[in-house]
Amino acid sequence: MLGRIGRWIDERAHLSELWQSQMVDYKVPKNLTFPYAFGIMAIVAFAIQIISGIFLTMYYQPNVHTAFDSANYTIMKEVPFMWLIRQVHAAGANFFLAIVYLHIFTGIYYNAYKKPRELTWIIGWLIYFVLLTTALTGYLLPWGQLSYWGMVVTAEIPTSIDSAPLIGSLKIGETVSIWMKGGYEIGQITLGRFFGLHIWLLPLILLLLVSIHLYLVRAAGISNPEGREIDKKKEGVPFHPYMTLKEGAYVMGYIAVFFFFVFFYMHHFLPPDNYDPADPFKTPAHIAPEWYLLAYYTIFRSIPDKFLGFVAFNLTLVLLLILPFLDFSPLKSARNRPLFFIMFLVLVISSMALTILGTMPPTPTNALLGLIFAGGLFAFFLSLPIISIIEWGWYKARGGNKQ
Amino acid sequence: METSRRDLMGLAIGGLGAVGVLGVLYPIVKTLAPSAASLSGAMVEVDVASIPEGQVRVVSWKGKPVFVVKLSQGFQWMGKVKEENNAKLLQGQEAYALIAVCTHLGCVPLWKPQGEAEFNYPVFHCPCHGGFYSPWGDNIAGPPPRPLHVPPQKREGSKLVIGEPGFVKELT
Amino acid sequence: MIKTVFFTIITVIFFYIIWINNVFAPHEHYEMPAQHAKLAEDVKSYAKEGKQLFEQNCQACHSVRYDAVYLSSVQANPKLQTLQEKYGKVLPRDVYEAVFNEDLMALKESFGKVPPDLSTIYLVKGKEYLYNFILEPQKILPSTSMPAVMTGRPEETAKIVAYLKSVSEPSPEEKNKRVLMGVGTIAYLVVMGVLLWIWRGRILKRIGLH
Repeated sequence: MLGRIGRWIDERAHLSELWQSQMVDYKVPKNLTFPYAFGIMAIVAFAIQIISGIFLTMYYQPNVHTAFDSANYTIMKEVPFMWLIRQVHAAGANFFLAIVYLHIFTGIYYNAYKKPRELTWIIGWLIYFVLLTTALTGYLLPWGQLSYWGMVVTAEIPTSIDSAPLIGSLKIGETVSIWMKGGYEIGQITLGRFFGLHIWLLPLILLLLVSIHLYLVRAAGISNPEGREIDKKKEGVPFHPYMTLKEGAYVMGYIAVFFFFVFFYMHHFLPPDNYDPADPFKTPAHIAPEWYLLAYYTIFRSIPDKFLGFVAFNLTLVLLLILPFLDFSPLKSARNRPLFFIMFLVLVISSMALTILGTMPPTPTNALLGLIFAGGLFAFFLSLPIISIIEWGWYKARGGNKQ
Repeated sequence: METSRRDLMGLAIGGLGAVGVLGVLYPIVKTLAPSAASLSGAMVEVDVASIPEGQVRVVSWKGKPVFVVKLSQGFQWMGKVKEENNAKLLQGQEAYALIAVCTHLGCVPLWKPQGEAEFNYPVFHCPCHGGFYSPWGDNIAGPPPRPLHVPPQKREGSKLVIGEPGFVKELT
Repeated sequence: MIKTVFFTIITVIFFYIIWINNVFAPHEHYEMPAQHAKLAEDVKSYAKEGKQLFEQNCQACHSVRYDAVYLSSVQANPKLQTLQEKYGKVLPRDVYEAVFNEDLMALKESFGKVPPDLSTIYLVKGKEYLYNFILEPQKILPSTSMPAVMTGRPEETAKIVAYLKSVSEPSPEEKNKRVLMGVGTIAYLVVMGVLLWIWRGRILKRIGLH
C-alpha cells in the first residue's frame, strides 16, 4: 500500500530521479575527513534551534514585566515538557556556534576559501555575522541579570567610536548606541524589537544565506583535503550511501553529546546569575559577553585606547572576510603548506587563548597576554600574503603553471 | 543469507528511526496538554456563608460562568415549571451551583429576585430571546429547550465545592 | 594521525574549560557543615518545615511568588484573593507590584530597597551561599540591609534553604524521571549511530566500494 502511494507521488513529482541525480550520481572524493561533517551538523543544529524556538514563542512573553516569569515559571515549571525545549534551545545556541567555529577553522585549514569557492566563503562570513547577531538578540529575551547587563555593555561598545580623534566629535557612536536600544536605556522598546529580530527577521535571513551557501557548495563541488580537485568521473564515490550514512552516524554522535549536556550539564548554558531577574540598579559582580564573543572582547579591552580597541576587533572580522584575497598562494590545503600550517596553529592557539582570557579578570598581566595573543591572531592574517609570495616562488621553481 | 541480514538491518534502522521520530514528537505534543495550574481550575470552592440570603454570586468554573444560588431560609417558590428536573436533583439544598449559560443560544441569564414581566416571583431571565428559568434552573417559558446544566458539586461544611461529585455526581 | 589527535585534544580541552570547569576563572566558594548540607538537600523531609519557618521568619519582607507565597501584609489583604481568582495563584509581577505598591514601598522605606523575591534565589546562589548569608548577612555582603534573623539557628536555616530549593528545582521524582529520559535518549542515539555505521559497511561492501 505504501509502495503504491509512493509510486503515485513519484510519477508526478519525480522524486526518485531527483534523489538519483542529486544524491547518488553526485560524486564526492573518498578522502573526506571527519571535520567535513561539521557543515551538516551545523544544519542539524539550525533545525533544532528553529523547532525548539517555534514552541518557545508560544509561551514566552516579550514584555519587560513578564518576560522573566514566562521563561522561568510558565516555560520551566508550568507547561509540560517545555523545560526540555528551553534547555534544548539554550544549549543548542551554544552548540550551533561551536559547530560553526569548528566548521570555519576546518575551511581555513583545508583552504576551502580559495578559487572557485571565494563566494561560498563570503556568504559563510555573512552567516557567521548574522548568527552572532541572532545569538545576541536571543540572549536578551529571558531578561535576567546577565541578559540585561550583557546588553548594556554591548550597546556601549559603539560609543568607542566617540573616543576617536576628529570623527569622535560627531558622536556617531552614541547615536548608534541609542539606535540599538531604541532610547537611552534598555527597556520595552529594546526587548520588543530584539524579539522581532530574533524570531523573524534574522532566522529568515539565515535561511536565505544558508540556502545560497549550500547551493554554492554543490555548484563548485566539495573541496578536497589534499587541495586538488578530483576528476568526478574517474575518482569519487556516490554521495549516497557513502557520505550520507557516514555523516548520519556522525550526526547521531553529535546529538548524543548534545543531549548529554541538555539533560545533565546545563550549568554554563543556563548560568546561575541569569536566574536573577534583571535589575537596572544592581550590576552583577561578573559581567562579560558569552564565550563566542570573548575573543573579540579580549582584543577590545587589551588595547588601552578605546577607539583603537574598537578598530582592532572589527579589523579581525574584516580580515576574516577578505581571507580568500589575503591568501593568493597557488598551493591549497595546510597538508601541503608547512608555513601555512604553523600560522594556522598560531591562529588556533591565539583564538582559544583570547577566549579563555576573556573569562578572567582584566589584570595588567592578562592585558599583556591579551595583546600578545591578539598579535598572534593578526600575525596569521598578515602572514598570508607573505607566505603566498614565498610559495609562488617555490611553485614556479617546481615548474608550476597556474595563472 | 547476506541479503536477508542486510535487509534486517535496514528494517531495524528504519524501525528505530520511527521510534526516534515518535520520541521527539512525544514531548512536543505533550506541551499542548493542560498544565497542573490550569487543571486546578477544575475545582472551585465558594464560601456559602459569605453570600447574602436570596442572592446569586457568579464564579468561573472550567472557563464557564456559574451561578451560586443561596436560597433564603424557608424559601417557598410560587411558580410553575414545564418539568421538574433540577428541582428534584437539588431538593433540600440551601445553596447550589448552576451553569450560567442559557441552553438556547448561550447568553448569560440574569437573576431577577423580584420577578420579571408576567412572573412576580424569583426567576432567571435570559434577555437575549426571553427565556425564563426557575431558581433551580428548570424551564418556565421561552425558547430554551432544556434546564440549565448542573455541574458536579458537593458541600464541605460552609463551602460549596464545584467540580467534585457530591449531591450532584456529574454534569447534567 | 598526530595532527588529528592534537587538534581533537586541544578542542576537547578548550570546550572543557569554557563549558564545564574553568580553572582559570574560579568563582567564590562557600562552605557549610556537612550535616546541615544534608538537611538543605533533603527536600522531601524538610521543605515543608522549611516553608513554615520561612513564613515565620522571612515572609514579613520576602515573597516567593512561584509558590504563591506573598508578603505577610499582602497575604492578609482581601484584595489578594480577588486578584488570584482573576489571574491564578501566581500573580503576574506587574499586577502584584502595582496593587500592593504601598506594602512594597513601606519595605523600601525601612531597608533602602525592596527585599527581592526569592523564587529562583536557590538557583542563583546555591545552598552554601544562602546558608552563610542568612546566618550572617553583613559578613557575606557588608553593604546589605538584611538583618540577621536566624542567628544561632543553623539547623533551621538549613531547612529554610531546603524549602527554597524545593521552589527553585523540580521535585526529586521529577529529577529522576529526567535522568531516565536523558539516559534513554543518549543510549538510543549511540545505538542508532553504531547501527548506521555497520549497515553502511555492509552496503558499501556489496557495491564494492569499501
